[in-house]
Amino acid sequence: MRLLAFFASGLALGVAPLAFAQSGNLTLPKAVEAGAAFSIATAGSGKATLYIAGLGQVVKRQVDLGQTVNFPVGTLYSAGRYVVVLQGDQEPESGEFDVVPAKGVAELSFLARPSRLPVGLHDAITGAVYVFDAYKNLMVAPTPVSFELSGPSGAAQKRTVVTRFGAAWTEFDSTARQGADKFVANAGAASTRRVISQVPGDPCGLTMTAKRDGKQVELQTAPIRDCSGNPVPDGEVVTFTASFGDDQSTADVPIKGGIAKIDMPIQDGALISVASGVVMGNQIRWEK
Amino acid sequence: MKNGILLAAALIIATVVLIVIGTVKPIPSAEHFAGEQNLLPSSSTPEAAVRNLGDEISLGHWARAYDSLANKTQFSEDEFIHDLTGYYANLRTDATLNSFEVRPLHATENDAEMRLTLHWATVLGPSESTRDLHVTRVGDHWAPEWPLDKRPAVPPQVIPVNYLRWDVIYPGPGDDWGVQGVEAPHVRIVDMRPVQRAEGVVILGELLNDDVVPAYVSVTATLQSKTGKALATEDSFDKISHVLLPKQVTPFLIDFPDATLSSVGSIRMSPFSTLVPASADPVIEIDNAHLNPAPDASLSGELMNESGQIVNVAHVLGTFYDKSGQVVWIGDEYIDRALLPQTPQAFLIHIPEDLARNVSSQRTVVSSFEYGGVL
Amino acid sequence: MLKPELTGESQRPIPMSFILLAAVIVHLPLLLMKLPLKSYDTNFHIFFASHYLHHWFDPWNTKWYAGFSQATYPPLPQQWVAVLSNLFGLDMAYMAVQFAAILLLVIGVYRFSRLWVGPRAASIAALASVFLGSESFLVYSAGQLGTTFAAPIYLNGLPFLFDWVRHGRGRSCLKATVLFAAAAAAHHATLLFGAFFFALPVLALALLDRENGARVSTSAFLARTIAIAVTVGVAIAFVLLPFWIALIHYPVTQTPIPHASRANYILSPQYGLSYFIVPYGALILALPFIFWRGSMVARLRPLLLGFWVAFLIGLGGTTPVGRVLLGRAFEVLTFERFSYWATLLALPFVGLLIAELVARYRTKAIVGLTALAAATCGLAVSWSTYHPADADQGLSVEPVAAWLNRDGHDQYRYVTLGFGNQIARLAVMTDASSVDGEWYSGRMLPELTSNGGGTLTSSKYFGKGGLDALRAILMHADHYGLKWVLVRDPSYDPLLAFAGWRPVDYLEDKTITIWSKDGAPPATPLNAPQIPPHWQGVMWGIFPFGSSILALLVILIPEKRRQKAREEYPVETGGLAPGRLAS
Repeated sequence: MRLLAFFASGLALGVAPLAFAQSGNLTLPKAVEAGAAFSIATAGSGKATLYIAGLGQVVKRQVDLGQTVNFPVGTLYSAGRYVVVLQGDQEPESGEFDVVPAKGVAELSFLARPSRLPVGLHDAITGAVYVFDAYKNLMVAPTPVSFELSGPSGAAQKRTVVTRFGAAWTEFDSTARQGADKFVANAGAASTRRVISQVPGDPCGLTMTAKRDGKQVELQTAPIRDCSGNPVPDGEVVTFTASFGDDQSTADVPIKGGIAKIDMPIQDGALISVASGVVMGNQIRWEK
Repeated sequence: MKNGILLAAALIIATVVLIVIGTVKPIPSAEHFAGEQNLLPSSSTPEAAVRNLGDEISLGHWARAYDSLANKTQFSEDEFIHDLTGYYANLRTDATLNSFEVRPLHATENDAEMRLTLHWATVLGPSESTRDLHVTRVGDHWAPEWPLDKRPAVPPQVIPVNYLRWDVIYPGPGDDWGVQGVEAPHVRIVDMRPVQRAEGVVILGELLNDDVVPAYVSVTATLQSKTGKALATEDSFDKISHVLLPKQVTPFLIDFPDATLSSVGSIRMSPFSTLVPASADPVIEIDNAHLNPAPDASLSGELMNESGQIVNVAHVLGTFYDKSGQVVWIGDEYIDRALLPQTPQAFLIHIPEDLARNVSSQRTVVSSFEYGGVL
Repeated sequence: MLKPELTGESQRPIPMSFILLAAVIVHLPLLLMKLPLKSYDTNFHIFFASHYLHHWFDPWNTKWYAGFSQATYPPLPQQWVAVLSNLFGLDMAYMAVQFAAILLLVIGVYRFSRLWVGPRAASIAALASVFLGSESFLVYSAGQLGTTFAAPIYLNGLPFLFDWVRHGRGRSCLKATVLFAAAAAAHHATLLFGAFFFALPVLALALLDRENGARVSTSAFLARTIAIAVTVGVAIAFVLLPFWIALIHYPVTQTPIPHASRANYILSPQYGLSYFIVPYGALILALPFIFWRGSMVARLRPLLLGFWVAFLIGLGGTTPVGRVLLGRAFEVLTFERFSYWATLLALPFVGLLIAELVARYRTKAIVGLTALAAATCGLAVSWSTYHPADADQGLSVEPVAAWLNRDGHDQYRYVTLGFGNQIARLAVMTDASSVDGEWYSGRMLPELTSNGGGTLTSSKYFGKGGLDALRAILMHADHYGLKWVLVRDPSYDPLLAFAGWRPVDYLEDKTITIWSKDGAPPATPLNAPQIPPHWQGVMWGIFPFGSSILALLVILIPEKRRQKAREEYPVETGGLAPGRLAS
């Protein structure tokens, strides 16, 4: 069906240059709002066939020449240029008019990146919005879009950007608090929300303690936080290393409940260190 | 008629002789299936007795191997099989014995010590195990005693399972374009160094999961000529720990056989990461890791499974640094025995002799595999 | 001279229609049940046929080994399967071609045996071929269509060779040449080794017989022999030209792959059962007779020597003969086919023996021999059940093929692990390309040829060589666009997990896991130098198949009236009493 529509559209566009010069019996609107009712007046007498073809839509009507042809609401809804061809007993006549997006933003396509990032980064969050009308036509007319990024504490960063050719974009800093930030874009009555997960940065001031636990030594970190004071999430790996002479024992331990903890067989005099990723913590020399 | 009789006799005798020759001294293709034994396997020497045992093991003739043991009353045939193939599923379970060597250590008139080295072919490459067997004279032949490693006694216990786990929920098929996805974990190469070896160029490096979610990682490298033309592309294959928990670092080694560093203008590194479900367990501790100097330079130590689950296969990756902290080599070893909870398991990673003297420190990581994992 | 009543020559031969009917009764139901589908190689031949069905003039098949040339294997039976599949479908077309080969064997054995023994013994030999253990073993257990298709054509051609050398009849020369060319187009090894085991004894027979009847001079004998050898050589060189070009440019130099037929059957009795007891069956009981009668009757000695050499080589690694005579080829060839040829060479003796036993013991002999024949045939037919090619019969590859064919999965290459010999069946059903395959001589991927492994899907059964090959091919997955590994054997899981592959889907109630490699690029055609040029594809599509059509046509050329059978078959006994020999 769609193929047929495109074929008819192509046919109409093909014959248009011939008919354009003989125009005169067609009265066309200059522009029609997408989805709105409209009418086309014809002159003359007899029967004819009226074709309206645009990108993605084709309308065909049998008309009595000399009468006005009314098209109800919702007939044409795809924005763009349409060609009208009137084919009667005589030479075909044609003309053009535009269908423009409907008024009022109905839908936003909101691309927010990244979905996850560390706290405290400058201009690290980007949001891009495309505005559409109720018929999913891109609204190329300048439209104000307001962006708002709010953290769990309620503090928000706001910015309003006017679209150019249907798109608007902005950048925000990530906040100092970890958590799920709401990133909202509003335009007219349309609103779309995304979630940006702000995660703690590298551990800061990583420290551990050691105490004997039977034959082994229990190594345990203090609650691990980043430099902004956010607790580092469970699962991050902390590496404990105990060195004694040429021997070395290591264990990669995931943080559980905010701390990392393990029992290791450690000899007296061993040097114990702790690290997470590329961040080093304190060192302990284990003595009797 | 006389000619006929002679011909018949000649053909029949020749046939029998050829069969006897083929059986007493089998051709290599036949040995592949029959082992090195011939029609009359002899245990007339300690070495022959151990060799026969090796043949039976390589052919999977467990009952015959067990029957040939002098100390078979001390354990059952099942225990003998499990001693060789493992009590729990592991790399040896489906391995085949590729070859074996027998070396006499000591011999008297009535007993001997023989070293049996078994070369297994596992899905992860060759694996070697060595047993010293006491061989005794029993009547007119010799019989080996099998030094059975008793099954590790894991005490009955209840271990609470409360490890961390990450799951990934992907967008459904109905979700529109523009809907937010979840990005791949952020990973970065924290060290990289190309090295020229006799076999070709080797790229050594380390990769860090810089994110708060687990990552499935691999590294691809492309050697480019001085004019920018791609010479070869290889990836880290199994010389890397592919699942990285947050803030975990893995070494990686990429091998370019037959390449020469002098013809390389630049190297393009492409780390790849994707979000995967993962578990923070098992935690495997590396105890008493020790650098052994040349000759036979190596890193030895023990693995200790700190979790409650059995690890079927463990992969130990050792990163070796010089005094300035630069990576000089990366070695690895697969452990062909299952890691039982709280049961130490030795490992040994060989270090190339020419690099051993440059090694002053090391860092070891372990990745693990359990059969029956989920998607 | 033997007394005619004792040799059975005084008795009438079994009518050929009866023997063919016996072949129909024994083999047609088994073939209609598609029993050969359980064999080792049947699906392999069907896979080749499916390629000819769609690409008759292009022997380059991209479904295995990322691309290989089917011009590395003589195509005739597979092309016939492809042609007949338009009527019956691939499976039944295979059965039809195999059935035709079985019927042709009956005629071929009769015609070949007539060179050595009288009509009755020859007809009994033909009847025995219906129950021959090695034939049933190759058809139902090994699935060697090429060998079982070529041998009957070759056997049918040998009497023409004899006639040409002995009597100089031009028509016979033409017929022998065309039949030998067709046999080579079906299976080159049959012709190559057949020249030694079958043709040399026939030539020796012609030499021995040169003084009987119409005399032929030694120089004429030699001239005719050389003439037909050259003619056949040229014909075969032309008909299989793309094959020879491929063989010369890319000789089989890969690391040998172990095969149980090379075992010592005494040290490894389980293989002795498969490769000696089952193919020979009750024929083992006839071995003393074969040696005795073959030695005593001068005229039968060439046949005995041909049998003896084939018999010894067919014993694989039981004797050093095969290795000494064949050299490196010993590590490439499999030896069940030598036993097959040995049993075919034994059939004239068997015909004689049975004729004499029946003449002497009548009903008792008939009952006993029928029971032995049934047991021999029954054991060989049932061997595919007791010792199946694929121990795991529960695998259905249809869902796997459907998965590969959907959602663009076939843009990438795949490899299976633990699929046994079902990979050929899967390859027929899917559009995707694999880096694995079952035609070892056609593979060129260095990862496979430099290691001593067979199919990747059964890597672990080939020990270190097989596992090294698998590891090497996985290391170069990106190069081959290899993205999918379909695993039915979890023992491979550790390798995949540690090598950076991830499970992405399950099939068949989670018995098959699909592993994927992230970032693998789509498969692209390999620009291999082994791709045959178009003219070779045209030759491959025309001449091998054309040789069989020509063979059918020249067979229709009428023969001149034959001389009396006695002239061709002078019974020479050496004064032995057959009753004593048979006892």
